[in-house]
Amino acid sequence: MNWIPQLLEIAPAANTADNYLPIAIQLIFAAGFVAFMIAFSAWAGPKRKTSDKLENFTSGIASHGDARQPMAIKYFLVAILFVLFDVEVIFFYPYAINFKELGWEGFFAVLMFVAFFLIGFIYIIKKGALNWED
Amino acid sequence: MNAIIFSALSGVAMMFTGIFTTNKSAIRNVAVIALLGLIIVNLLHSYGIFVVRVNTHSMLQFETFGLFFNTLVFAATLLFVLLSGKDVTNAGTYGAEYFALIFFVLCGVSILTCYNSLLMLFIGIEILSIPLYILTGADKRNLKSNEASLKYFLMGSFSTGILLMGITLVYGITGTFSIEAMRPAVSVGAPNYGILEPVGLLFIFIALLFKVSAAPFHFWTPDVYDGAPTVFTSFMATIVKAAGFVSFIRLFDARAIEMGISWKIILPVIIIATLLIGNITAVFQQSVKRMMAYSSIAQAGFMLFAVYVNNDMSKEGILLYTAAYSIATIGIFAILTRMKDITFDGFNGLAKKHPVLAATNAVFLLSLAGIPLTAGFFAKYYMLAAVVKENGAGALWLVIVAVLFAAVSVYYYFRVIQAMYFKEGEPEITEVSGGFKTALVMLAVLIVLIGTFPSALLNWFYF
Amino acid sequence: MNTLAYLVPLFPLLGFLVNGLGRKSLSKSATGVIGSGVILASFVVSLLLFFDVKSHGATIATAFDFINGGSFKIPFAFQIDQLSSLFLLIITGIGFLIHLYSTAYMHEEESHHFARYFAYLNLFVFSMLLLVMGANYVIMFIGWEGVGLCSYLLIGYWFKNANYNYAAKKAFVMNRIGDLGFLLAVFWLLSKLGTVTYGDVFANYSKLSSADMTGITILLFVGAMGKSAQIPLYTWLPDAMAGPTPVSALIHAATMVTAGIYMIARSNVLYSHSEVAQNLVAIIGLATALFSATIAIKQNDIKKVLAYSTVSQLGYMFLGLGVGAYTGAVFHVMTHAFFKALLFLGAGSVIHAMHHEQDIRKMGGLKKKLPITHITFLMGCIAISGIPPFSGFFSKDEILAAAFAHNPVYWGLGVAGAAMTAFYMFRLYATTFLGTFRGTHEQEHHLHESPSAMTIPLIILAILSVIGGFVGIPELFVHDGHLLKSFLSPVITEQEHHIEHSTEYVLMGISVAVAAIAILFAISKYSKNPELGEPAGLGKILADKWYIDELYDAVIVKPLDALATFFKNIIEKSGIDGIVNGVGKLVTYSSRQLRLLQNGQVGGYILFMVLAMIVVVLIWVNDGYLYKMFTSLF
Repeated sequence: MNWIPQLLEIAPAANTADNYLPIAIQLIFAAGFVAFMIAFSAWAGPKRKTSDKLENFTSGIASHGDARQPMAIKYFLVAILFVLFDVEVIFFYPYAINFKELGWEGFFAVLMFVAFFLIGFIYIIKKGALNWED
Repeated sequence: MNAIIFSALSGVAMMFTGIFTTNKSAIRNVAVIALLGLIIVNLLHSYGIFVVRVNTHSMLQFETFGLFFNTLVFAATLLFVLLSGKDVTNAGTYGAEYFALIFFVLCGVSILTCYNSLLMLFIGIEILSIPLYILTGADKRNLKSNEASLKYFLMGSFSTGILLMGITLVYGITGTFSIEAMRPAVSVGAPNYGILEPVGLLFIFIALLFKVSAAPFHFWTPDVYDGAPTVFTSFMATIVKAAGFVSFIRLFDARAIEMGISWKIILPVIIIATLLIGNITAVFQQSVKRMMAYSSIAQAGFMLFAVYVNNDMSKEGILLYTAAYSIATIGIFAILTRMKDITFDGFNGLAKKHPVLAATNAVFLLSLAGIPLTAGFFAKYYMLAAVVKENGAGALWLVIVAVLFAAVSVYYYFRVIQAMYFKEGEPEITEVSGGFKTALVMLAVLIVLIGTFPSALLNWFYF
Repeated sequence: MNTLAYLVPLFPLLGFLVNGLGRKSLSKSATGVIGSGVILASFVVSLLLFFDVKSHGATIATAFDFINGGSFKIPFAFQIDQLSSLFLLIITGIGFLIHLYSTAYMHEEESHHFARYFAYLNLFVFSMLLLVMGANYVIMFIGWEGVGLCSYLLIGYWFKNANYNYAAKKAFVMNRIGDLGFLLAVFWLLSKLGTVTYGDVFANYSKLSSADMTGITILLFVGAMGKSAQIPLYTWLPDAMAGPTPVSALIHAATMVTAGIYMIARSNVLYSHSEVAQNLVAIIGLATALFSATIAIKQNDIKKVLAYSTVSQLGYMFLGLGVGAYTGAVFHVMTHAFFKALLFLGAGSVIHAMHHEQDIRKMGGLKKKLPITHITFLMGCIAISGIPPFSGFFSKDEILAAAFAHNPVYWGLGVAGAAMTAFYMFRLYATTFLGTFRGTHEQEHHLHESPSAMTIPLIILAILSVIGGFVGIPELFVHDGHLLKSFLSPVITEQEHHIEHSTEYVLMGISVAVAAIAILFAISKYSKNPELGEPAGLGKILADKWYIDELYDAVIVKPLDALATFFKNIIEKSGIDGIVNGVGKLVTYSSRQLRLLQNGQVGGYILFMVLAMIVVVLIWVNDGYLYKMFTSLF
């Protein structure tokens, strides 16, 4: 029966998990704090259960219809494309900071990046992704 | 390097081909020319001729094995396009874009065959995977295709998450992404990184096991392969899977020792589980396409041997396996795309009506089953011989189990042959051209040739 | 000369391909011309090779490496030396005559069957050429199997007759038993010497222990027993007469059945060093010679008589090999090829004339109607009986002389066999050609001499039967008269035996006198009163071939059948089938269950994956603890 303690002892002795003990304690503390606060407010707060209280609050007006209305795909398309190109522009910031150190090689790399970028842009325009009217 | 650049540029070129022309045969021709170019520039690389000289800061490292594998994969893609090019352009509305995506996949493959940094591994896998999610959903009007695409994407993202987690752990503890730089750490007297490094590596391996659809990380495979348009299933099951194996082998080559002895228990268990699930589940399938999905899991079980043992023979074996498996699977799927009814019963009586299709299909199936005189036999033989060579009689039980499962696989492969030759029926089939038949016959001849002279292919690898 | 060597087997192979593939479209005359023409071409090349060997000695032509297995190498090579070039001449020369004969004999067949016949015959010649030309035992084995296959195909040529198919099957099975011995011998050689090339084997024979040598030679002889129809594997040859008569002449008299003699003569170096094997060969040969001669006395089917006679003559050849007279055996192969082919073709001519009647009791008096056949057949009979100066005399006498030197008892039995040979041959001759015609009126009306395509080969073979013996005149008559012996001396190391000249004269005189008496007795007995009734007593036993087929049936076939029935009903049905079907059921059952894992829910899939990951991580992190735990548990 000596294998049960072995089974429980997950980490072998050479393990460095002790180094992470403070982190573990912090994690437990954080989780415990949140749990405590939620439980405490639910326990300590006043409770008055009426049907009005369980209604959606819509600034006094009764709600009607479905919130999920179909929207034109173009909104999403434009939004996604915007995010795509916007995120790519972010790459210019690190380049701007290291502009001098990277020299010509960096310049050509960024030029290539922009070129691909531009090709993508041309492609979506040619494909008509940005045409608002059909 | 040539291959990476040229495949990416070819992808872009294909995108614009789609804008300038809608002529399907022109699109196919451009793709074929680009593939030929890709093969040529890749061969040029082997002779030290570069299109552009790029300092990769040793994030990539080019070796004969990887380059030859590139050639093999590109050649397989060329065969695929020659045989099924029409189906690619007909799979959905954007023929040229599908080719563009295929080229991006090839770009990912060429990164995966030479990466030397975990970052490049990640980028390669992503470049490989994202186009596949789209290709899976290419048939937009088909619910199954959509479902497969979504499933693939969800589970793929999950595995990518695991991969990134693993890379992070490894980087955090070792301070480097380079798999090459981590190598010295393995030797005697190296710093002990504790438990986090192997756990990180473990995560990376699990993500890769997912990519090659090894059990129990295979669940996406049947659903995705079944749902995707058949022509892209063919591409995914062959070329992409093989690339997954090569990336696996590259990493394992460098890091196996750090895995500890547990790895020697885990991997055989995974291999056997993969063989078991792949082979046994395939037995009960009614659809040939789904059977092929399970068969590809089963074949992955065999290919995993190249990960389990890492010697010259296993490397030769994985090359041979890739060639044999890809050719046969491409052929079978090409025939499958022509069938109206893709259940086993749909094949009833094919031999009477279309003897060429039936005969070539039989050759492909025999090769997958590993019957001698076909390429599949030597592929399996090299794998098992590599295991015996490395581990001696101790690994014999593994070999015996593998052979038993290969015997099970004969059952479901022969069900198709039985349906084609020994059952009466009126198989419905779309028009097949003479060129298609010629290409099929050439593939079958190739299989028999490799099966008769396996050393011919391997000699090419060494010279 | 190397390229010429390739041509010899190439021509028949081409003929086989053309006739075989074009059998539906070629006309009969085209088939006949192609089929015979390729053999003639081979014959011409063989002649060139023969003279080349005669003046320049042996050559070995290596085409490519056939099997390359690490430590050993088996080249695909032809060895053209004195022995093989002699056999080449016999095979292609007689082969050509028989092909020519066949064009007329088989003319009643439909054209595609006619082409099939020639395709088989060409394939046979090709295989036979491989057999004798091969420079190692493996190539010989390829030819060996090839001729066995062709023999099977040609015996069963009229495949609509079930009995003929049984005969073909019997021949094949009997041959396979012998082939197993041959194959084992080849493996044995390979494992001991690492080579099967003749030159290397014979140069290194001293490396073999005497037990190895005996084992190998006896196993080789088992192969020869099958192919050359020796006791106990001879019963297929008489049944093989089911095939067309030219086939019997070519395959079952002149060439294939002598393959065993060729093989042993080829391996004479090995046999000379194994006394046990040599004695075995001699005893089996002698026993076969006598045994089948007794059977031949009471057979009434013209071809069966000749078949048993062939078995008997092959026995003589083995006797020769066994007593070390290798040249004598090869010499007898040659003369036997002449006169036995002649006799078979003559019999074919008779059968042709009699509209496929083979029973000699229904013939008689054919002398006048078939003059050429009669004369040539008579020549053959005299030759086989060993009457000087016909060819059979010289070769048989050489063997008998060697037998006497070895052991006088062998000689005595051999002479008794020779007497029986003379007796049954002239019984056959007298019953068939002398006396009065006993067939139906219809047959008598249609009796005619065969066309010239059949008679020309008969005449040529008859001439050869008469003069063929002069290449081997014994020392006794002419000094250095044995041309054959001096020609073969580079490949065959004769075991010296010496008999006084006076003794040899006496021996020769006795054997000729005995044969002559037997001939006169047979003619006087059967020319007027052939035996027409059913034989009784000892005659019945002989007519029923000593009941050997029945014996084999009772001792081997029946017990095997019983064992097979047991295996089929008990072991196979309940044991093996149960296991096999059980495995199948298990697989399908587990397949049905495993399939359920694939439920289509992504959440479920990911749950499985995470569980698997946890298990893997646990195993890993334990770094072998779980593994050790498992091992400590058991």
